[in-house]
Amino acid sequence: MAGEPGELLQGTLEMMVLKTLSLEPMHGWGIAQRIQRMSRDVFLVSQGSLYPALIRMKRRGWLTTSWRVTANGRRARYYELTAAGRRQLGVEQASWQRASAAVDWVMNARLAFDGGERA
Amino acid sequence: MSMLSDLVERVRSIIFRGRDERELAEELRFHTDMDAELLQGSGLSAGEARRQSALMLGGVERVKEDVRDARGTRLFHDAGRDFGFAVRTLLRNPGFASVAILTLAVGIGGTTAVFSAVDAVLLQPLPYQQPGQLVRVYYSEARRREERGFVTPVHFLDYRERMASFGAIAALGTYSETGADIGTGDDVRRIRILGVSADYFDVVRVQPRVGRALQRDEETGAATVIISHGLWKDRFGGDASAVGKTLTMNDRPYTVAGVMPDGYVDPLVGAVDGWVPMDLSPGRDLTNVDNHYLTVIARLRQGVTIARAQDELDRLSVRLGEQYPDARDARAQLDPLKEDIVGSSTRSLQLMLGAVLLVLVLICVNLANLLLVRGSDRAREFALRSALGAERRRLVRQTLIESLTLAIAGDLAGIVVARFAMAAIVAIGAGSIPRLSSLTLEPRLLLFSLVVASLSAVGFGLAPALRAAKTQPGDVLREQSRSSTSGGVQMRLRQWLVVSQVALAFVLLVGAGLLIASLQRIRETPLGVKPDGVLTFELHLPDARYDSTARARFYEDVAERMATLRGVTAAGGITKLPGTGDYNIWGTRAMTGPLAGTDRSSMAAQQRVISGKYFAVVGIPLLDGRLFDEHDDASVPSRVIVSRSVADRLFPGVRAVGQSVGTGGRTKEIIGVVADVALDPQGHMGPHVYHAHRQFATDRNWALSQVVRTTGSLETLQADARRAIAELDPQLVMYKPMPLDEAIGQGESQRVFTLRLLTTFAGVALALAALGLFGVLSYSVRLRSREFGIRMALGADRGSIRRMVLREGLVVTALGTGIGLLGAVALSRLMASLVFGIDPLDPSVMAGAAVFMGVVATVAAYLPAYRATSVEPSSVLQ
Repeated sequence: MAGEPGELLQGTLEMMVLKTLSLEPMHGWGIAQRIQRMSRDVFLVSQGSLYPALIRMKRRGWLTTSWRVTANGRRARYYELTAAGRRQLGVEQASWQRASAAVDWVMNARLAFDGGERA
Repeated sequence: MSMLSDLVERVRSIIFRGRDERELAEELRFHTDMDAELLQGSGLSAGEARRQSALMLGGVERVKEDVRDARGTRLFHDAGRDFGFAVRTLLRNPGFASVAILTLAVGIGGTTAVFSAVDAVLLQPLPYQQPGQLVRVYYSEARRREERGFVTPVHFLDYRERMASFGAIAALGTYSETGADIGTGDDVRRIRILGVSADYFDVVRVQPRVGRALQRDEETGAATVIISHGLWKDRFGGDASAVGKTLTMNDRPYTVAGVMPDGYVDPLVGAVDGWVPMDLSPGRDLTNVDNHYLTVIARLRQGVTIARAQDELDRLSVRLGEQYPDARDARAQLDPLKEDIVGSSTRSLQLMLGAVLLVLVLICVNLANLLLVRGSDRAREFALRSALGAERRRLVRQTLIESLTLAIAGDLAGIVVARFAMAAIVAIGAGSIPRLSSLTLEPRLLLFSLVVASLSAVGFGLAPALRAAKTQPGDVLREQSRSSTSGGVQMRLRQWLVVSQVALAFVLLVGAGLLIASLQRIRETPLGVKPDGVLTFELHLPDARYDSTARARFYEDVAERMATLRGVTAAGGITKLPGTGDYNIWGTRAMTGPLAGTDRSSMAAQQRVISGKYFAVVGIPLLDGRLFDEHDDASVPSRVIVSRSVADRLFPGVRAVGQSVGTGGRTKEIIGVVADVALDPQGHMGPHVYHAHRQFATDRNWALSQVVRTTGSLETLQADARRAIAELDPQLVMYKPMPLDEAIGQGESQRVFTLRLLTTFAGVALALAALGLFGVLSYSVRLRSREFGIRMALGADRGSIRRMVLREGLVVTALGTGIGLLGAVALSRLMASLVFGIDPLDPSVMAGAAVFMGVVATVAAYLPAYRATSVEPSSVLQ
């Protein structure tokens, strides 16, 4: 483990939920587990942020819900991506990639620019 | 799309709140169970796994609350809770709640009712097509354009022929109510008929729904009638074959030409049962350019402005002046018909509106005071709750909801009050204010009242809550436990509110005082008549049975027969009762004397035709010469009696008796001079020329209002008179019997209506102001009881503390009164137009209002100060 499991970056939770659900419909606990595992325990999703986020996304029409029975016979609410949700994932993924690349450029910038600025 | 799903989801969550909550609980339980299972799998005991998983959840209620937030419905759920809480809080303090709700109810109810009246009478257009095109045409004089008189037939016909600006123009015989008897024997009934020229129906743009309109070739007084929908149902069973049938009116058969649509009312006289063609055929009246008796209305041609029409009319009037040298100065004036109809009510309604707005502001100030006082009372409660962790936002919202609860309760109570107030307004104003009878409570006005209630609640509920939210709880708690005087800023704000309340109340008080004073003056105004003990009623003689000779004899017979009744001292008749307005204004010319032949020889004078002992009955004294007697009949030269102002103006410096005047197209000798009488209840005197009915019966069928003076009761007289009339002619109807003072008072009723409303308002405002002043002053004194305790403990005597409180209360009141005085001065010009016989800045009224405010303030400040200082200092300090 690379340190303590951190809180999620604000705003990225929804994107990651969308990503998780794009693989298969899932209940809330499963979504939290999967994000934690896929992020190699960097992100720990608390229920206090997960469920409100799910409700918000449902309100925006990105998700639908249904009650199903899990593999070990328990009733759970499953979340499923809608067409709108899938489109939203594409949008967020593209903008995330652009943003993270931009952050990389900034962080990797060299001092060579300094001379130019003084001139 | 997403916005729609959002809305659907939110609404769904509100409706299925219970199911959502159950499902959320189940979902969270599932999550925790799964966590526990996972932990147990990694080697923890079942109990420890459950404990850890619960810790991971971090408080189930907290999560639920966050989810509810995300649903976007939390506001509703909390609001519901707050609402319940608000109701409980208000019920715990019923005094505050009932005063606030009562204040709102009176304010909203009164405002809504009066706004409805204003709306119905002032704001709604006339119920005719394109009402803006309708104008009233008045006679005026070149040098006195503000004059408004009836139009002569000569001028009317010229206007009709030559005015291009008019699409249609019509004459109406409105100046005296014309009735007609229909049916015979026991079935006789009197209906209301209106003589109109043929184009009347084009002017109002309402055509008969059955049959046809009147034609110009019928303007000879033809026996044709257009009947009302009501009469059609009543007499002809609503049968279309009624057209062409005969309706006998005053024993004369009329042919029914048409039936007006249901609900049609004349713009000027209201409900009419029959429209008959006017007689505009050439005759003496028609060629007399000095005989004004037509009411004229016109419809402007499409696109023509009233200014352009007036322009054309002015040019035409000058040309007509050259054509008719006897009426060289005759001009005409156009007024929008709507203004003409409501004009006299406009100012009183505007004033009423002003009074209502003042009351409304006063109510708002009252509410503000109440809520502010309550807010400071609860500052400690809020501080405590805030210290215990309640969100500030939540406290503000709760206060807001409390105010809204008050507003809704006040609004509901207000609607009830409004309904009663409306019924009262209609009852008071019925008959004297045009179109008031159609008054109903309008949805728009209800909305208005809701807005007023909500705004005042939001405004004044929010202020104390915001302040409570802004202060540090610790400060409040510290101050409250230690405080000697209440917070400075708040105190100043409250004092200014008291000042404004006093100022507003003062203005209303002055207004009420002035109006009550003027009502009294009107009652005391000498009208030149003695109306007490006089019964009046109208008799209308059918032409078919009474020719001019018969009419002349009959009216004298009636007077003589009445004089024989028990208690009767004199009886007579006149064409228009004194104090009830203009009637038959004719040019009157000095034919002899110093002014004869000069350009000052002519004046406009009220013409009256009298019978019996008219002057003796109403108490008009003879100043010179003699009254008419039985010898002044058709066989001798025409004679007149003039009132003093006619004699003074036409025969200055000489004796008028024996001189001659030209009037009504004839030269007549003056045999007597009597005192002037008033034309209206306000006491405006008018020049009068009296003609003897015995001599003048041939002119037309004058309907004489009978006047009978008795020393006994008017009821007995009325019964006796009815029997006597039946003996003379059993078919006659005794129409509109009433005491003369009541008949004169009818013209006054509109003013009385306004006065009653205004005085009621002023009374309400007064009560509200006194209540508010008392509440705020006494509360602020109560807040200081601790301070008084300390002062007394330190050796101050009770008297000095009471004096101090009183002084402070009076300073605030004096300041408010001063500002109110300035307000009254600013409004005095508006008031001047409505008050009568009194200066709008009458010092006694001003002083009275100031004294009243002072008394209320003294009581309001002294009582609580007395109570606060009567107890032992130690009991207050503990």
